[in-house]
Amino acid sequence: MLVQVENLIKRFGDFTAVDGVSFGIKRGEIMGMLGPNGAGKTTTLQMILGLITPTAGEIRIFGKSMATHREEILDRMNFTSPYVAFPYRMTVQENLTVFARMYGVREPQRRIDEMLERFDIARLRDKPIARLSSGENTRVGLAKAMLNDPDLLLLDEPTAYLDPDIAYQVKEALLEARSDRGMTILYTSHNMSEVERLCDRIVFLNHGRVIAIGSPIEITQAILNEEREAPALEEVFLRVAREARE
Amino acid sequence: MKSHRIIAVIVRHAYEARRNADRITDMVYWPVLDILMWGFFTTYLGRGVGMRPDVINVLLGATILWGMFYSFQRDMAVGFLDELWSRNLINLFSTPLTINEYVTGLICINLAKTMVGVGAASLLAWSAYHFNIFPWIPALVPYLLNLVLFAFALGILTTGLIFRYTTRVQGLAWSFAGLLAPVSCVLYPLKSLPGWLRAIAWMLPTTHSFEGMRQAMVGGGFSPYHFWWGIGLNAIYFALAIGIFKLVFEAARTRGLLVKLE
Repeated sequence: MLVQVENLIKRFGDFTAVDGVSFGIKRGEIMGMLGPNGAGKTTTLQMILGLITPTAGEIRIFGKSMATHREEILDRMNFTSPYVAFPYRMTVQENLTVFARMYGVREPQRRIDEMLERFDIARLRDKPIARLSSGENTRVGLAKAMLNDPDLLLLDEPTAYLDPDIAYQVKEALLEARSDRGMTILYTSHNMSEVERLCDRIVFLNHGRVIAIGSPIEITQAILNEEREAPALEEVFLRVAREARE
Repeated sequence: MKSHRIIAVIVRHAYEARRNADRITDMVYWPVLDILMWGFFTTYLGRGVGMRPDVINVLLGATILWGMFYSFQRDMAVGFLDELWSRNLINLFSTPLTINEYVTGLICINLAKTMVGVGAASLLAWSAYHFNIFPWIPALVPYLLNLVLFAFALGILTTGLIFRYTTRVQGLAWSFAGLLAPVSCVLYPLKSLPGWLRAIAWMLPTTHSFEGMRQAMVGGGFSPYHFWWGIGLNAIYFALAIGIFKLVFEAARTRGLLVKLE
């Protein structure tokens, strides 16, 4: 397993946000992480990124413990979320230059040019971040996330602000990165059809716990508790979310 | 520590300084304005009141050095606030960047920015008031070192407090050094303070720097006494500031504040 999460717990005072979550991700796998709001997805993601210290449990990535090998692990990872911003006065080029240096990217300008082309934002190179639309900002985030050619990529709702055409291009780019060099991806999204098409397996969280792990069809059958021929994650999600409210 | 990550922090803040009018103002405007005001005042003291030239030199020198100390402390904290205001913290700390590399990068860029401000103020003092601080620099280096070290310590402590209490206490970035100005004996000697305040002033490396600076500028030579007191106090404050900052940073990660600061 490239990522191994073991019995992860996170408590904030009396509130338990993540309650004994365990799952693994194989090399080259695209793993979806689903769940209603408050299920513990973001907290789990932030613990995997080392931004939050777990109360208990262990995260091992590339065979090493996140608690003791943070730098080494993060050097081979990257992350993006449309809810995270960049310094808004700086241009796209300047922001990407800073992150290319941060990861020690060789030939940084060539790599930046490649990423700008891949996400179709080369024309935005000299624009300050403050003047970009949400969709353009998301694509800058994706370009930053691919700058160091990571072995593990964490994506938090990467297509949330993208129109269907650009979202399609992004999905293609991710699939290409996986097929070309075996990039491993952990992916959260509220777009169920996108998850069905993109993810090999899914870990479904609710109330901070794993309620199912498997392929989209396995998750569908496990949670709806009936035989299905095709995945129906939308239906699964609605059932879990409604039960969570009740 | 990896040099490429320290350089990344330097480059990030150099871009910010270039794009942000506030940073340019902080860097040059205030030090130059201070010198303009103090320059006219000391000109009046020299010509109108007949004050001794060496005392006037001391006043102008102290103004330049206090400006340097203040800028440095403020820019350390404002550098961190820039990350907070632009909601860049998650991006930054989801990279392999360590807290030591981040602080080292901030120190380097702020040292450069402070030098630009001090340089501009010194050139103005030279051209407009015939006060040339540059020949004094070798004699002042030990005291400058102590001022810079204390500014680091205060800057790190202020940043730590902003980490802990968020933008509610961001005003400290501009006010913390000012709080120390009356007891740092910038423009007057330690003996002019009331007895009870002298004990507090004695505990500040700034006091020892300005006392030593005055002694050097009126021809009294180097004061090992004030230099080593300054170094000793700085060692304590620096260790405390770093310790508190690391504690606060780890607490922020444990309590999930790092991702909520924005």
